[in-house]
Amino acid sequence: MSDQAIAQNNGVVPDAIGKGFAFVFPFIAAIFVSGLALLAIGENPVDIFVLMANEAFGTERRIAATLSAATPLLFTGVATAICFRSGVFNVGVDGAFVLAGLAAAYIGFTLPAAFGVSLIPMAFVFAALVAAAWLYVPGYLMAHYEVDEVVSTLMLNFVALGIAGYLVNGPLLSELSGNNVTPLIHEAAHLPRLLPPSTLHAGFFIGLLMVIAYGIWTRRTATGFEGALVGLNQRFSRAIGISVPGAIILAMVLSGIVAGFGGASHAMGQLHRFVEGFSPGYGFTGMAVALLGRNTALGIFLSAVLFGALASAGTTVQFFSDIPLDLVNIVEGTVMIFAVVEISRLAWRRRRKAA
Amino acid sequence: MDDVTIRLGARGLSKAYGAVEANRDISLDVAPAQIHAIVGENGAGKSTLMRCLQGIERPDAGTIIVDDNEVTFTQPQQALNLGIGMVHQEFMLAPDLTLLENLVLGDEPERVSLGVLSRVDWGVARTSGETLAAQAGVTIDWSRRSASAPVHVQQFVEILRLLRRGTRILILDEPTAVLAPQQVDDLFALLRRLRDGGTTILFISHKLREVTALADRVTVLRRGEVTYQAAISDTDVDTIASHIVGGGDSSVAPVRRASNRSSVGASVFDVTGLSVPSIDKSHALHDVHLSVKEGEIVGIAGVAGNGQDELVECLVGLRAPGDGQVRLRDADITRASNTERRARGIAYISADRRHEGLAIDASVEANVIAGSQRSATLKRGYFLSAARIRALARDRLERLNVTFGSLKSPASSLSGGNQQRLVFARETDGDPSFMMAAQPTRGVDIRGIEAIHRILWDFRDRGGAVLLVSEEMDELLALSDRILVMSDGRIVGEVEGDKADPQSIGRLMVLQDREPEPAHV
Repeated sequence: MSDQAIAQNNGVVPDAIGKGFAFVFPFIAAIFVSGLALLAIGENPVDIFVLMANEAFGTERRIAATLSAATPLLFTGVATAICFRSGVFNVGVDGAFVLAGLAAAYIGFTLPAAFGVSLIPMAFVFAALVAAAWLYVPGYLMAHYEVDEVVSTLMLNFVALGIAGYLVNGPLLSELSGNNVTPLIHEAAHLPRLLPPSTLHAGFFIGLLMVIAYGIWTRRTATGFEGALVGLNQRFSRAIGISVPGAIILAMVLSGIVAGFGGASHAMGQLHRFVEGFSPGYGFTGMAVALLGRNTALGIFLSAVLFGALASAGTTVQFFSDIPLDLVNIVEGTVMIFAVVEISRLAWRRRRKAA
Repeated sequence: MDDVTIRLGARGLSKAYGAVEANRDISLDVAPAQIHAIVGENGAGKSTLMRCLQGIERPDAGTIIVDDNEVTFTQPQQALNLGIGMVHQEFMLAPDLTLLENLVLGDEPERVSLGVLSRVDWGVARTSGETLAAQAGVTIDWSRRSASAPVHVQQFVEILRLLRRGTRILILDEPTAVLAPQQVDDLFALLRRLRDGGTTILFISHKLREVTALADRVTVLRRGEVTYQAAISDTDVDTIASHIVGGGDSSVAPVRRASNRSSVGASVFDVTGLSVPSIDKSHALHDVHLSVKEGEIVGIAGVAGNGQDELVECLVGLRAPGDGQVRLRDADITRASNTERRARGIAYISADRRHEGLAIDASVEANVIAGSQRSATLKRGYFLSAARIRALARDRLERLNVTFGSLKSPASSLSGGNQQRLVFARETDGDPSFMMAAQPTRGVDIRGIEAIHRILWDFRDRGGAVLLVSEEMDELLALSDRILVMSDGRIVGEVEGDKADPQSIGRLMVLQDREPEPAHV
């Protein structure tokens, strides 16, 4: 694999040979490991993998399911990558995503339905504000008081889940349905479905827009350039006149905005309400997406689709074979492990910085 | 005692790293009780040779000779057992232990032998320390914490520690780099005494005057090969220098002195009464006054660690001053941020090129345009233009003749001299009025040094003001119009460039050294 660390970034770090290999390698390893697992339970790995590929990409409906599953990952992947490339190890995207989903749903069911379609932008903006403010706090603490961002963002995830859990079971609980859900948002505020009956919705395009905007930010803006340098070498960045605290806080806030859009998209397009368990770890899968995608726009898109494919194939493959869902989890887990090997490099960089 | 003719040697030693032949067919004989100097440019293969001799690297071909016998080292321990020991540039002492504790660390005399439960016999330790010191003819306050001991004393302890472990062949890697002239004299006296006592010494250096003053023989390495070997009595500095550079063409050490004082103009950079408190382990500054005028290079001499780093950081805005004033032309910039100072025309050449001067993993292009990323000239519409970035990068690099493979290659792919030229290319663009240059030629080979000196002269001749902090006396003498001497956070003397000589400056450098206060607990 390339010898650039996790904070590597488009345009600033030279293209490493084997970038493509670095992307494919975790999958080869995952196929190998899960192939062994399949052999162990007496299945033919080739058959199963063909079946899985069909379930992920075989028909238009299955492709739609895959892209639908990939949608939240586009947001969380970009949100994570923004921070990672700036050397900010933000693991709090999940919490921001959840709070943003609640905020968007709140707009969607409390404001009068008469607002119509304009509920959608209002909900997105509010969700982004909430998530950006949420991540601003650990960003500020890290930039000005050297509070370790891994600890603060990780802990804030639990706080976010607690807040959301309280609200959804208390003040914002739906009177109509049972526990743990808010009322449904107004129909006018739904993001349009693209290929019914699949759940693929317009949020997918907003996610694509995020990926493209991320690509432009990294390659074509001064702050994107500064973020990359801060991620590579803070002393250098300071000496060259870049505000390191500013870059750190900006990365956190941008990450919050993207995570916020993601939460809003998921609430307005997928679930049409907020429920407890809103995110089955999209923020954490987003970390794997960013790592596997090496923080590049194209890489993030491909990784999000691949993780989406695993998720959509996993849910149906067990209907057509004796394969338990656990097997898909093995594949997913193996891919993550090999993709996340890069994390250890970041940890090493941090130690070196401290020394 | 022994009748060997070769205490340490090499025969046809070769070592390649990938396509790079770091050592090629090197043969070397060091007789017992001899001081042998190894000289060469950066990248000439000195370090690789030393690593092979210590068993850290295995040569691809050739053999190593110890006491007339061919030996093969598979691990460093074997070299150690044969009595080969090395003093590195960075000392390996534990800073919080006393010098005595450091002396015996890892091989403590035991009072009762109980494996890991053994008790250290400090009486025996102290006696052995004092015996060693007496043999070497130095006095050492053994109860002093090593971090608080003067640098040359730390170095002595490193050497004595190796001797205590039975080292008969001492390898020293640029031992004088951190020492003041008087301390160098003390070190040389010690090394001569050790040699006369039978120790064989291999001594790596860049400083030819030291080589001729100390060594018995010299070996010159160039591009991995031995180009010259001679007894010191049969050669001279110029001959050695010509073999280091190759082709015997140019003179080597920076010899051109500063000139053209007539162009010195108005004061550009003024520091009055600057004080900085000591934070963590940093050095304090006390009431520093200095001024640099247009068309002038002002040098700052001093033993490393006397506040130079703090002064530099304070002047470029990376460290907050406690008291005093810093002015750039008419503007008070005492409290201005680094960003603002750069915008006002302060260029900064960092002493730590690999960690502060460059983002070494980032591309050449990113490094050379960094700092200008917000400039309108790089934008087309709202966004940065890749073409304009490329054009600016090429323009800057070509102006200073930086040799590079591709704009997208990492800065680490450049040689040390080209890396530093890249830094100058970035920092001198846009006509800054003041340049803070810290150790501008550190880790740069002789050719690169010449090029960088020329850049500094050109900058000065165009009316730039330069404050130059350097540990290289030759460099300060060659470049400076005035030299300020720094010691213990103070400016303790000033010498006109054309009247300066190493001895008088060296005396100022150590004159103010505080007597070591007793550190008994």
